[in-house]
Amino acid sequence: MRLKARTAMALTGYAFILPTFVFLIWFMYYPVYQALSGAFTYWDGFNPPAFIGLDNFRRMLSDDVLGQSTINALIWVAFAVLLAVLPSFLVAELIFHVRKSRWQYVYRTIFVLPIVIPMVVTILLWRFVYQGDGAINQLFALFGLEHWQQLWLGDPDIALYAIIFMGVPWINPFNLLIFYAGLQSIPKEVIEAAKLDGATGWRRVLRLDIPLSLPQFRLIVILTLIGSLQNIIPPLVMTGGGPGYSTYVPILHMYNVSTVNGEFGYGMAIALVIFVVILAFTIVNMRLVKSDA
Amino acid sequence: MNQNKFKRVWPIAMLVPVLALGACSDGNGGANSGTASSGGGGRAEGGTWTGTITMYAQAYTPNAKNISGIQAEQKMLATLAEAYEAEHPGIDIQFVDEEFKDYTQTVRVKAAAGEMFDVFWGQWADLNGTLPKGIAVDLTPYLNAPNPYLPDQDKWVDAMNETVVNETVAPGGEHYNINGDYVATAFFYNKDLFEQAGIEELPTTWNELLALAAQLQEAGIVPMSQAPDYGWFQRHFLSDFYAEEYDTIAGFDEAPGVSSKDEAVAIHKGILSTGDERLMAWWPIFKTFTDTWKPDYLTADVAVVTETARNDFLAGKTAIFYDGSWVPNLARDAQIQFELGSFNFPILEPSVTPLTNGLDVSGAVGGPNAAFQFAVATKEANKTMKEPGKLEAVIDWLHFIGTPGHVEQVVNENGTFVPTWPGTSPNAEMKELAEQSTQALRVVSIGNSSANLLKDIQRTFGLYLSGNIGLEEATESVQKALDAAQNEYKTKNDIDFSAY
Repeated sequence: MRLKARTAMALTGYAFILPTFVFLIWFMYYPVYQALSGAFTYWDGFNPPAFIGLDNFRRMLSDDVLGQSTINALIWVAFAVLLAVLPSFLVAELIFHVRKSRWQYVYRTIFVLPIVIPMVVTILLWRFVYQGDGAINQLFALFGLEHWQQLWLGDPDIALYAIIFMGVPWINPFNLLIFYAGLQSIPKEVIEAAKLDGATGWRRVLRLDIPLSLPQFRLIVILTLIGSLQNIIPPLVMTGGGPGYSTYVPILHMYNVSTVNGEFGYGMAIALVIFVVILAFTIVNMRLVKSDA
Repeated sequence: MNQNKFKRVWPIAMLVPVLALGACSDGNGGANSGTASSGGGGRAEGGTWTGTITMYAQAYTPNAKNISGIQAEQKMLATLAEAYEAEHPGIDIQFVDEEFKDYTQTVRVKAAAGEMFDVFWGQWADLNGTLPKGIAVDLTPYLNAPNPYLPDQDKWVDAMNETVVNETVAPGGEHYNINGDYVATAFFYNKDLFEQAGIEELPTTWNELLALAAQLQEAGIVPMSQAPDYGWFQRHFLSDFYAEEYDTIAGFDEAPGVSSKDEAVAIHKGILSTGDERLMAWWPIFKTFTDTWKPDYLTADVAVVTETARNDFLAGKTAIFYDGSWVPNLARDAQIQFELGSFNFPILEPSVTPLTNGLDVSGAVGGPNAAFQFAVATKEANKTMKEPGKLEAVIDWLHFIGTPGHVEQVVNENGTFVPTWPGTSPNAEMKELAEQSTQALRVVSIGNSSANLLKDIQRTFGLYLSGNIGLEEATESVQKALDAAQNEYKTKNDIDFSAY
């Protein structure tokens, strides 16, 4: 009887979560399974796929565009991590050190408010800023610095960096809040003790705040790594991967070979490798965060 | 212990039906996924089917609110649909009012999901090569049979433009669309800016075009600023340079026109290859012209910047814009503040290059690639086409709009293109551009043997024109792309090049 009641309760519980499971499997795991199996096929996206073994993976090894894309992605990730961490942490520190909590609230709001602007809008805005007659070049002209004017998105030596560095002053509201929360969680006793020991100003930041914010640093670094590898929108909207292949990244290559060239099998093979790389980063992330929990 | 075991096993047991559901899926998003392309049920037997026929008519979409460049009052297809519906109770024609930024991609995705529109805009080159085989119905049997709305013709094809029908045939002899109009391309120019620069005569030769650009520059006017579309400009030059070898190139598949097979074989045989000086010789010539352009968009992706560049022109920032005959409509929508004119792509003189045959190739970019290009979805691309009698109903609707009279009405109401079927004539204001449609379609170009070839060369083209790489590096890069394309074609089509 008791077993029956427990079973009924368990059944009820599982019935509640069943819809979530169905959608989770249907929309998250089933596509992964499709990509996994499709990576070993030639598939034009319409006719039945033909099994070709490891051919797609062999092709990846000799794919010059993928090679160039990978180098671009590594450069992107390196700068993205720096831009994700440094400005946000600096601003979080500044806000944390504002004496009145009311003003802290005001500054937090000011820096978080831009989150309401959709990313595509920001990107399109920056496309105009970077144009030959855009705001940057006009500013240079205003100050008599015409020789600094560039084709920001038209020069293959500059375009990648132009995309990476768009969004001045690079303060990510999420990262800012994570750092701020981390600073807030430092016990007051520790801060007071540090003060007595003479750790103030930059010394306090270096000796106390940064070491005690390491879990936040690790989390943001890993999330940025993953986010950068998945970020297709800026190169797609701003340059289409050009000039040449100078702003091409693996995720854009995957998108183009699949939906533009109709080589879905090869696209799935690239997606599978990206998935494995991101999974590896995620596992590293989980372990790092866990170790500090 | 037993309870614990039960607890461990139960979640797995719950997963089984869920996974089974997944396994039952057809791989296209689910067997029961909605079919957006058609509403209404079907009734069995040809001629008695009733329901909704969906049609994506691109530039001819009536009452369009979401497609740019279409006049708000355009309604001819809706009028024809009303007349057809009145004659065929139970049939409802619905037009898709949507603008697709990447139409080829849309077709791929919709067809993969089995949700393609019943009748859709499809250009012959895409249907013959770029898109996966099996998306569109082979209309050849219908073309060779009578059209009930043309009682005087033995075959429907007799009412169509013979040259167009012959040149747009697929390598296997199939016809995947009915092709009723022609698009012209030209240099559109700002008459006010030309007047300001003191330009009185329009250029007819390449050197005159260069002189005109220089004159505009001297007057402080930007002659042009747009992404140099390799796919377009190559056709002018290659059609001229390779004119004497057109029959050889077009003849590999023993069918009219340069098909993707012809192209792949010509690449393999070294004709359409960098080993033949004609393939790359026009790049430095063209660069003398693009050197006068504003450099902003030279390296840009054509799809990404064309609209911005066109808007620059319509805003009066640049003097010339090379585009299709839809520009006057867009200019009207933009309420431009200047008078718009156009002139054709000029003739190359022997003093420019000894490779020229001095031909008028102004019509090489345009052609039967406009908007009255309608295909019918297969039952694989559109699940509702499995309904008994629906294919016949859809073909009957196509028969109805596919008469010279209706083609002329639909095409001329839009005012952007030229009707091509015998007995039709263009609007008076299109007469100048319509001259291009009378030129023989002897176009040589590359890009159809592989989906990626054109995009790949476009990237190199931009880098070369902007001065980021030299001709030697560009040539190497192009040859690499050509080699990859012919290998891809060989793999996909199991062709033995040595047989040609």
